Amino acid sequence: MARRYGPYGGAYVPETLVPALEELEATWRSARRDPAFRAELKRRATTYAGRPTPLYLAERLTRRAGGARIWLKREDLVHGGAHKLNNALGQGLLAVRMGKRRLIAETGAGQHGVATALVGAALGLATDVYMGEVDMARQRPNVERMRLLGARVVPVRSGRRTLKEAINAALRDWIATVRTTHYVLGSAVGPHPFPSVVADFQSVIGREIRRQSVRSFGRLPDLAIACVGGGSNAIGTFHPLLRTPVELWGVEAAGPRGSSHGAASLTRGAPGILHGSLSYVLQNAEGQVADTESISAGLDYAGVGPEHAYLRDTGRVRYLAVHDADALRAFHWLARDEGILPALEPAHAIYAAVGAARRRPARQNIVVTLSGRGDKDLEVVLDAAR
Amino acid sequence: MAALVRGGASALELGFPFSDPIADGTVLEAAHDRALRNGTTWDDLQRACRVASARLPVAVMTYANPLWHRGLDRAIRELARSGATGLIVPDLSYEERGPFVRSARAHGLALVLLGAPGIAAARMRAIASSARGFVYLVGQYGTTGTARAGARVDLRPLVRAARAGADGRPVLLGFGVRDRTTAARALASGADGVIVGTALEERLERRAAPAELERWIRSIASARPSSGARASPTPKRAVAVRRP
Repeated sequence: MARRYGPYGGAYVPETLVPALEELEATWRSARRDPAFRAELKRRATTYAGRPTPLYLAERLTRRAGGARIWLKREDLVHGGAHKLNNALGQGLLAVRMGKRRLIAETGAGQHGVATALVGAALGLATDVYMGEVDMARQRPNVERMRLLGARVVPVRSGRRTLKEAINAALRDWIATVRTTHYVLGSAVGPHPFPSVVADFQSVIGREIRRQSVRSFGRLPDLAIACVGGGSNAIGTFHPLLRTPVELWGVEAAGPRGSSHGAASLTRGAPGILHGSLSYVLQNAEGQVADTESISAGLDYAGVGPEHAYLRDTGRVRYLAVHDADALRAFHWLARDEGILPALEPAHAIYAAVGAARRRPARQNIVVTLSGRGDKDLEVVLDAAR
Repeated sequence: MAALVRGGASALELGFPFSDPIADGTVLEAAHDRALRNGTTWDDLQRACRVASARLPVAVMTYANPLWHRGLDRAIRELARSGATGLIVPDLSYEERGPFVRSARAHGLALVLLGAPGIAAARMRAIASSARGFVYLVGQYGTTGTARAGARVDLRPLVRAARAGADGRPVLLGFGVRDRTTAARALASGADGVIVGTALEERLERRAAPAELERWIRSIASARPSSGARASPTPKRAVAVRRP
């Protein structure tokens, strides 16, 4: 429960939020040790979210790559369609434990918004989700789903109208409503204790990967790969593997070809303070946060979780960036080879996995976290094909 | 500026625009955005400091990242050299103050710290005792410029805790102060003075005449605590403006 990861992390927030952050940390620490809380979370994760998710050998994709075996960790099969529910469920139960009666969330691709809306409905809590107008247009199915689930979707019209602005809006709401409302932060970013809390709830991914790898091929994978926007599915994948010999890769969005930095905070950014934590940020010479570009709303973010910043510096994880066109390529490979439509976010990781598999012997095993399904992206994919 | 001085402003808060001003409400957020689109740079801020500090004591308001990216020590040294006497960082919580305190002390800049409703009295005292220049109390649950009636909080315990730690330094109240009435209410909670931001920005945006600005500031400067409270001794007033 480190406040910092090396120099990264911390809580750079207005003092108004400090009592809520302290309350969240205390509640989370007590809940983790409480067998009743853990049992309740596990019960909902199995009966509602659908855990554990399968570890699937993608035989035809493997054949396409012609080298190491590619396994998919199927977080796309989690109720709601992405790994986001692992965290939203945990934080929803914490909100109830704290006696809050309202949930707010930010959302980029809409998956975290949907997960929070699901949890709000299942737990009987009023839910408001902040979403940039640009994202609302490119991820429309998710907007409709949130509304049907009883959440209010609040369009954010400032700035570039994507994820960064939605986080700003959610933080401003929380500053005003902090006594009655819990902010269900959707990724491994933000002020302490959020990065730790999110990593904790998402670590179920990596724990299952360990067990399932041993069961499927008798040992841990040689390489685990996940896409990185804010970094929650990646940190959940990596956490239980950090102290093992497993190689770890995080894949960011390089955006359209010709973009100077896409949304690749770790590969093209510099240390900076955004949304409450010190991490890597894409920024200009004046310290203003840069505009980002990515075909995938969920990776389209100038910041990244502070633990990833640390893992990059120590070299434990290798971070690379994949362009839009290559992510689209991988989307179609997976669709045709395995009958799975991935979300555009993990399609970036799929692309990297095929490249890695190509250069490794067949006896090696690569696990890729398929963080979500691609129903929300059909319009974008079809547009790109025209 | 002359109008503000004539009206009785005792200091100026000069804001550096930031791409993600989470502590600011819609009016000031739009001001940040406009300033950025106009291409405002750190050099512009230094120039503005030099000009303004000739008339009034100046505290610079900036979010943490522009300082961090430039290099804390370098940025703070530059601000001190351009005539600023104070620094306010709205997303700097107490635990993160260390490097900022050290650089500010090294270059003779007063690092103002902020307190807010909801924090424990002991925390408020600790913040106040580390603060230099003055203690900035955020007067409500919310961003700048939100003076919602329902959001009114009894600030007297917070102000008391701030004074207990402030060791004679002024305790100023900001967020939600816009006129004589709200200023009087702020003083009634025990604050030594008030900070006005959004309300000034609104007037600047609609190009209010200097005479109007002067009248408005004077009405705030002449506010006395609302009935039921002791008058504050020698009230000082600070006025905030965010500059494009």
